[in-house]
Formats: sequence, structure tokens, C-alpha cells
Amino acid sequence: MLNGTSKWASLSIAGLALTALVAGCGTSNGSNTANGSGTAANGTGGQGGTQTVTLNETGSSLLYPLFNDQWIHAYQQVAPNVRLNAASTGSGTGISQALQGTVQLGASDAYLPPSTLSSNQGVMNIPLAVSAQQVMYNLPGVTGHLKLTGDVLAKIYQGQIKYWDDPALTALNPTVKLPHQQIIPVHRSDGSGDTFLFTQFLTDTNSNWANTVKYSTQVSWPSLSTGIGANGNDGVVTTLAENKYSVGYVGISWLNKAEQKGLGYAALQNKSGNFVLPETANIQAAVNQMVSQVPTNEAISLIYAPGAQSYPIINFEYAIVKQQQADPATAAALKKFLSWAISTNGGDSAQYMTPVHFLPLPASVAPKSQAQIDNITG
Amino acid sequence: MRKVSSGTKTADTVFHVATGIAASSPVVLLLAIAAVVVVQSIPSIRLMGWHFITGIEWNVGDTYGALMHKNGVTAAAGASFGALPFIVGTLASSVIALLIAIPVALFTALILAYRLRGWVQWILSILVELLAGIPSVVIGLWGMVVLAPFVAHGLGPALTHVGVVIPYLRGPVGTGMGLLTSGIVLAVMVVPIITATTRDLLQQVPVLYREGGIGLGMTTWEVVRYIAVPYIREGFIGAVALGWGRAMGETMAVLMVSGNAINFLPHNLYSPISSMAAVIASQLDSAMSDGSGMAVHALSELALVLLVLTLFTNLLARLLVSRVHHRRRGVRA
Repeated sequence: MLNGTSKWASLSIAGLALTALVAGCGTSNGSNTANGSGTAANGTGGQGGTQTVTLNETGSSLLYPLFNDQWIHAYQQVAPNVRLNAASTGSGTGISQALQGTVQLGASDAYLPPSTLSSNQGVMNIPLAVSAQQVMYNLPGVTGHLKLTGDVLAKIYQGQIKYWDDPALTALNPTVKLPHQQIIPVHRSDGSGDTFLFTQFLTDTNSNWANTVKYSTQVSWPSLSTGIGANGNDGVVTTLAENKYSVGYVGISWLNKAEQKGLGYAALQNKSGNFVLPETANIQAAVNQMVSQVPTNEAISLIYAPGAQSYPIINFEYAIVKQQQADPATAAALKKFLSWAISTNGGDSAQYMTPVHFLPLPASVAPKSQAQIDNITG
Repeated sequence: MRKVSSGTKTADTVFHVATGIAASSPVVLLLAIAAVVVVQSIPSIRLMGWHFITGIEWNVGDTYGALMHKNGVTAAAGASFGALPFIVGTLASSVIALLIAIPVALFTALILAYRLRGWVQWILSILVELLAGIPSVVIGLWGMVVLAPFVAHGLGPALTHVGVVIPYLRGPVGTGMGLLTSGIVLAVMVVPIITATTRDLLQQVPVLYREGGIGLGMTTWEVVRYIAVPYIREGFIGAVALGWGRAMGETMAVLMVSGNAINFLPHNLYSPISSMAAVIASQLDSAMSDGSGMAVHALSELALVLLVLTLFTNLLARLLVSRVHHRRRGVRA
């Protein structure tokens, strides 16, 4: 073969071109995703009403114990033709996958930022239940609940308070013998609704924090070589348990597991100056203060609510959902499931809420969620 | 001449096209990945310029606040992407891993190649290869639960006594989640890679050379030092480069034991760090909920830096190999 080499070369070029074409498609897809303008929803499910429909949920590790251990099983009795899948990936993933249409339901402890809402038309954050967060610590020998304020926590996370026997801490806890040990502040390294809630609490209580770090699912933590980042609520609980004299924030559905590992949790100072624990009555008191202010799109912070009894770190557990679903069957199944989830006869009934220390959606907020759910179309 | 049927001709064409596509795929994939990463990085490059690799503040900005327009691009207000801590973390942890892994791997390979015979050698070789196959998340878990407490309470305090001589070994030791633990975990992952390659190389050293050395009255160590090691030097450098690339790109294990430092450079051997790969993995999700999209672009630029750094070390290793090659040829001539 005389022209063998050139033939091979031309074929290789053809192959290159072909593969580049495929790669090129990938490139344009990638930039779409990054801009958040991807409109193609990846719905699954059949056409008719009786066919099996699959609804996928990812996101908040705080909501996961409720969704996976309680709701999926319970909803099987209500709608046998709907298959629910859940994954605990962190709120950041829940939000981004719902925006991209990879999943029908994104679970998040944080509502969507205004910029995300405006750049993603037709995306809604629908509250499903009320949750809370506690501040936990590993202090051997300390029993009962430490008293902490948002201001003191902000100073700890900014490195202004370094030791457990700092005057600011001993003044709050005169009866507790605090050790002269360096504080190890633990934060979440992944995108997390818990980070969002905690940093919002610090923003509301410490002006320096409000001016520099602010709040988000991922913040630029002040440089602190004593601090550690941990992955997920389980990672924070493990890290706290393994490091004496550490402090961190953990979602309330993890409270039982964390207590089993010997961690204590703090009574936090609320807006009225009282120190309160994350107990049902205190969470309910905080919700009652805030319900009248919930807007139509339901994006609202419930942190640091007024009232003598209000626990300061509470939030709505949101489902991030696109109005436009892939097909009518998916839309119908999604609407039916979400309506069930927010009903006190369905997903929000006490038998599912109590094991994870959640509270049902307040009676005046449920209609607002229902109005958003009714906007879903196929 | 044999008559060629149309079926045979079609088969030949299919063969040509298939091999053409397959053969071009490495080039195409590399170019495609590089192109995507570069295109995605452009807004971040415009926002940060060189400050991206010299700055130490990494801040997605106030994603719940207003947007900021700067240098013709849009980002969340207060956004600043300085990746120096992650670059330093990646390089420092991987170099520590190599410092530990190189002697361990070389000596293990020598034993495997020259000292052991039969089933003992077979079992040990299998074990080394099994070690390479352990998923990184498992090694990360071990690092988190076993190694980090040991570094914090055993190894670290012991090393601080050497701190009188070498300042970087001085305390405080901290929680055990940090540079040293990351380096050791990476070493565990790199050792089998270097060992397996080096063992194969050592087995290729001609027996005559070694016997010649022994015949001249060389000790075992001298045979290794003056005959075996010089013989495999090029390949060994290649194996180390391979291990280095693995150490820099490792994500999960580092994510679990590094302490995920942000906004500061490591100041001693026990400081919490972050590597580029770990930051990309842990921050991508929340970056995608940044309405301006800049956080994703910044992570792309981080990926670009990692890609360039990996290619650079690979090229450096190749350069070293070819220099050794030239020198040896010169001696022979």
C-alpha cells in the first residue's frame, strides 16, 4: 500500500472531527448548566395516570431522616404507583440538581438567593416542615447545657475568643467550671443549609460578622488555624466526638445520634435575652412569631425571632421544585405528593415529625405552600 | 491476485474508521477537557487576573445580596478568588507524601525483586497490588479515625521536639487533621504505585550485571547502589512522577483528613490545609447555586491550574529522564 500513511492520517482526522463534534456538544451543555439556564427537565415516568411514576429527591441531610425513613414508606400506602427515591447529599446539591432538572425534588434548609430566583424562572422554594439547629460541644466533665450567645459564637469562629475559660464564656456560665483549653471550632466544608442557618444567626447577632463574612450555604470562613471543616452533618458529629474541646452546629434531626456520642448542646440566647433550648415549645413559639411575615414566595429567614420563649435557630425545610415538569404524569404525581407532605393528616402528622424533632407547617403557612404547589404543570 | 469481495472491503473500512477514532481519542479527550476548562475559566480569569494564584482570600461573595460588576464580568458582591492556599496545600501534601513514599517504595521493591522467592514473593506482591486497589474513601476513613488522633497525640508531639532544629516541625500540633496527616494518607496511596513499577524495573536489571558486581567483591548494598539503582534511574523517576500526579489529584482522602482550611497558608507541619481537588469536590454544589455563575468559573480555573500543574510535573519528569538518558549515552560513547 503506497498511500497507506496518508489514508490513515485522513481517517484519523475524520475520527478527530467526529469525536470533537461530540465533545463540542458537551461543551455547550456545560456552559448552559453553569449559567443556570438549562431548561430541559429530565423527568421520568409514564403518560397515563395509572402508570408508575418515579420522583427523585436529593439534598438536605437534615431532611433525609424524615424523607427516607418515614415518608417514603408511608407514601407507598397512599400512592402505590409512585416510586420515591431519596439521597442525602447536602442542601447545595439539592438546590443545584433541582435547578438543572436532574431531580424533581431538591431538599434544602436554605431558601433560594434572589439572584438564583431571578436567573431561574419558574423555580420555587416550598416549605414542607419546620426544623431547628443546635450548637453542640465536646467538653468532658461538663454536664447540663452551656449558655451561649450568637455574639460569643461569632467571636469564637473569628478567633477573638480562643479558650473555653475566656471571661466572656465564664460570665455566661458562672456555675460551670470551664477548662483552660483551646476551642476547636468545626464548620461544614460542603455546601450546607446548616451553614446557612448558623451564619445567619451570627450575622444577626454580631456586627463584625454581618459586615465581613455574611451568610450563605458556603461562606468564606475567617482564617483560623485551630478550626476544622467537616463534610455533612454526620461528619460534624464524628469530628466533634473525636476532638475534645470542639464546638460546632448540627441539624436537629441528628440530635439523638450526637447525644449518644457524648456531645452536649447549648441553650442559646434569643432576641429577648433569654437562654432557650431547642425544645418543641420553644421552636413553636418562634414559628408563631414569624408566621404573619411569610411572603407569597415563602423565601424568609426565621432566625432570631422575637418573643421571650423563641428558640433562635429555626427554619423551613424547603423543597426546591421547578414549575414546569417533564410531562403531565410527573407533574400530577409531584403535586399530589407535595400536597400530602404538607398536610397534618399526611406527611406533617405527629407520628413522622416527632422522631426527628420537626414541627408541622403552621396552619397559616400551609395554604401558601399549597398555592405554590398548584403552580406545577407538566 | 485474490479477488476482494465487497464484504471484506467493508470490513476493512470499518476497521480503519474504528482504529482511527480509537487512536485519536486520547488527543481529542485531552483537548476537549482542556478546552472546556479553559472556556469555563475565562470569566474568573478576567475577574481575578494573576491575583488568582497569588491571593489567599477565597470568598464566593454575598450570594444573597446584590451582584457586583467588575472587569466586565458579574459576580456576587465581595467575591474574591485567591487560590494560593489550595495550590500550596496540594504541593506541600504531595511532596510530603513523596518524601515518605520514595524510600519505602524503593526498599520494598528491592526486597520483592531480589530477596524473596517463591510463594512469599508472590503473596507480598499481591498484597502491594491490593493496597493500590483500596478505594481512597476507605483510606480516608482510616486516616480520619485512626491516623489523625495518632498524629495529634503521638507522632505530632514527638516531632515537635525536633522543632528546635527545623522550625516547621514546631507546634501547636492541633487536631491531627492537617498537612502531615494528608501527606501520610497520600503516601499510603502512592507507595504501591511506585513499588509495583520499581519492582518490575529491578527485575529487568540483567542478572549478569549483578553477578558481575558480586564477582568483583561488592556487598549487597553496593550492588544495589552502583548497579541496580543507576540502571533503573529513568524508569524510577517516571514511577515517582506517576505517583506525584496521583497524589496531587487525589480528592476524597484529602478531603476527609485535611481539615479543609480556607483563607490561610499552612504555618507548620500540622496546619489544616486544603487541596485543589478537594476544594473543587466540596464546593461545586453550593457554587452551582451562585446566581452569577462566577463560583463555578472560579472552580474551573482551579481545575485549570491543577491540570497545568500536573502536566508540568509530568513534563519535568520526562525532561529529567531524557537528561539522564543523554548523560549515560555520553559516558558510553
